Amino acid sequence: MVRAHLSVTTLRKLIEMKMIPCISVHRNLTCLHHALGGIRWKSSYRQAPLLTAAPARGLIDEPISVKGRFLPPHCPVTVCAQMHSEDGDLWEAFGHYNTTSDGTVSLTRDHSVGGSYLGCEPMGLFWGLQPAPGARKGLRLRKKNVETPFVVHVSLLDGHVSPSERQSTELAAVTTERWYMAPGVRRIEIRQNGVVGTLFLPPGPGPVPAILDLWGMGGGLVEYRAALFASRGYASLSLAYLGHKDLPAPRNRINVGDSYFKTAFHLLQDHPQVCADRVGIIGLSFGVYLTLRLATQPDISPSCLICINGPVGSTVTLSDADGRTEQFESDQKYWVFDDDGYVSFKALSLPANLAPETIVKIEKLTCPLLCIVGEDDLSSSSIECANLMEETLRAAGKHQLFTCLSYPGAGHLIEPPYTPNSRASLWSVKPVKQITLWGGHLASHAAAQEDAWKKTLEFLETNLRC
Amino acid sequence: MDRKQYCVKLSVQPSRGLVDEKFIVLVQNVSPGFQMTIHALHKCEDGHSYEAFAHYTANATGTVNVSEDPSLGGTYSGVEQMGLLWSLRPVPGSKPGLRLRKVNVQTPMEVTISVYQGHQTEGFMDQVPLVGVLVERWYMAPRVRRIPITENGLTATLFLPSGLGPFPGLLDLWGGEGKLIEYRAALLASHGIACLTLDYLTPEITMETGKMVDSQYIETAYRVLEQHPQVLGSRIAMLGLSLGASVTLKMAVYSQVMKLRCVVCISGSHVQPIDGFLEELLNFCRINSETKTRINEEDQVIYHDLLLPIPTDPALKVDVGRLQCPLLLVVGEDDQNWPAYESAIDMKEMMEKAGNSHLLTVLSYPNAGHLIEPPYTPHTRATAFLSVTSVKKVMALWGGETVAHSRAQEDAWRKTLAFLRENLYGSSNCGF
Repeated sequence: MVRAHLSVTTLRKLIEMKMIPCISVHRNLTCLHHALGGIRWKSSYRQAPLLTAAPARGLIDEPISVKGRFLPPHCPVTVCAQMHSEDGDLWEAFGHYNTTSDGTVSLTRDHSVGGSYLGCEPMGLFWGLQPAPGARKGLRLRKKNVETPFVVHVSLLDGHVSPSERQSTELAAVTTERWYMAPGVRRIEIRQNGVVGTLFLPPGPGPVPAILDLWGMGGGLVEYRAALFASRGYASLSLAYLGHKDLPAPRNRINVGDSYFKTAFHLLQDHPQVCADRVGIIGLSFGVYLTLRLATQPDISPSCLICINGPVGSTVTLSDADGRTEQFESDQKYWVFDDDGYVSFKALSLPANLAPETIVKIEKLTCPLLCIVGEDDLSSSSIECANLMEETLRAAGKHQLFTCLSYPGAGHLIEPPYTPNSRASLWSVKPVKQITLWGGHLASHAAAQEDAWKKTLEFLETNLRC
Repeated sequence: MDRKQYCVKLSVQPSRGLVDEKFIVLVQNVSPGFQMTIHALHKCEDGHSYEAFAHYTANATGTVNVSEDPSLGGTYSGVEQMGLLWSLRPVPGSKPGLRLRKVNVQTPMEVTISVYQGHQTEGFMDQVPLVGVLVERWYMAPRVRRIPITENGLTATLFLPSGLGPFPGLLDLWGGEGKLIEYRAALLASHGIACLTLDYLTPEITMETGKMVDSQYIETAYRVLEQHPQVLGSRIAMLGLSLGASVTLKMAVYSQVMKLRCVVCISGSHVQPIDGFLEELLNFCRINSETKTRINEEDQVIYHDLLLPIPTDPALKVDVGRLQCPLLLVVGEDDQNWPAYESAIDMKEMMEKAGNSHLLTVLSYPNAGHLIEPPYTPHTRATAFLSVTSVKKVMALWGGETVAHSRAQEDAWRKTLAFLRENLYGSSNCGF
């Protein structure tokens, strides 16, 4: 048999002399390839490098420990992550490291000196994922099918290189899965009493506390945050209210009113596996307005509220007592375009621009409110609205209900941690392709997501569990 | 209890792990001093249920951490991080002689872990627990590939690690029951080794023709591995359990075709006629079984003496003095099925005499039995067994005391992986 460190010339000679029992030309080349594979491990490697990621199958909000071992000491290496989104786009991230004297690299201990992120960032490979060079513009990474994981391929490359050099310098690799649903979580489609949503139930006998989950004007049915809450032991109903085929037409308007949201809340509260007196509501963006509006309805008594980067009112006057809104084209006077033609919706939610009768009577709130603000939010006037919420509660003698977490450098889309932020992404394709600005700088936004999620879970623990 | 039910928090991290990975079971938010039973339930593919349970008392912060706190009783006691898995046993009322083995390795083993109020020992299925979670235990890491191999008359499965490769290889052989057993090969591939598990006792070709395979069948399997574009042909090991170890030793010493980097034999013996192959080996066992099989008071069959006494005749044992690569022997000192311990002693003597004992490592475990398998899988002292040489199932005694056997499995697996790593990835210093 051929030893791994022979030169290519010697190998060729051996093949010609038929010392390797290969039958065909193809086989010759295959044998050469085998030997070359061995040669790929440089003579400086006593053992082949090993890359491990634990846990290999984790939840999206679980940190992963990535380690490289059996490397030469004080050696430049690149750790690289690559994954394909459900739409087929390639996302990648990488960090440049130097191995320590014991020939290891550990992302929980070591500092990246270049690449997608700098410094000691154990999860930088995940929140630092960006569309690969040549990708389509305006992408945003979001999981549609929460019953399957994101598959992220992590590799260890020789030297300080970029991911496109993977093929020629890969030393070791490991595949990881990132899940929104823990084992045993059940996903149940809800089309009941006009309510359109998806319910996620944690495993176990129940009953459990619950969370109603509301998103923004992007519409549709966004399931991943609710799935993650269920993975953390809360029943969670993600509710659609705009832009879904099962809701009343037309799709570009909100055609449901207060009674719709009340029905949804009661549906969740009355579920046999839910503790009726332990239901909270979370809203992002326009979902904040809906959360606050619902919480101040008669016979709706949530245990707590979480409001992320959203308005306290709406820019359009209500068309009827049931809260049905008009088409959003009338909002366009508040749209602001930058030099690239990207639109910011921020002015829409400035308190001065909100229709006064839509401003929710926050002084009527009786439960704790956690307000989360990204200070670089380019889509919503989050700081101004948060200030208004605080002032209103203070004036009503209810300041003890209010907690605000404000994050410098964070943008609009404060989502579960270790997922990348998009500073801007495609908002609509018709009548023209329009990209909208969200804001947020990659590293500070990532730090905000991590801290906000941790505090969100703690807030829910305190107010929904005991 | 004082606190409401929904306060109790149970978490198992990781909730999706490999079969040989440890997990942390944590119960929180109960009253200090609260008595609970943590229960594990697994329903396997053939419909049988297995359970384990342990009694705990919450500390002053209302917490129980299974990896730090002692079990006060149940199917295990003391601080046993993985006790809920290795002490799993068939639920009361199950038929005797069951053995827990995963057939479909592409799906995980699902275990439900629950917390019940009080220190209980039975009737779990008739009660509603306070809280429960589902845990997945996988034999295959993400993107490990499973490839059935039927070329050249083989009945085998190849497991390739995820990634570009190429990878070192391993030939995996099981014991006297035959069939194609995949789970150990899948797990080894999850650790970076391209693994081919081979059915050599009951392959298609034997089932069709009635004839046992010869040594060329094993060599063919070796070649398939060696020539695979994602396998490093010069870095192939062989691992055998029980009868598979006998075949492994024979091939390692006498095959002109197979050049192995290292060999692992679990609960095996070198005692066999060196002329011939399977046919002769099985006949040898069959003849001896007529006089040397023992049956104990519980009607359990002990095959341990079949190969004893260790012969002095060189025609009846593999000449391990001729072995040219490292050999790891794993033996349980309470093995009731095969004289692995006695054989290991004899092999050591032979190698010392021949001057190659520096190649030998022996891991010998007191109170461990015959079936030394990947860790955290339940131990059984005796199970229903149909060997290829018999016509009816018997209750074979494997031996081993559960706690010691489980510790042996954990230690042996860790050391086997290190041995394979050292020899398959280390610098090329072998005899060829």
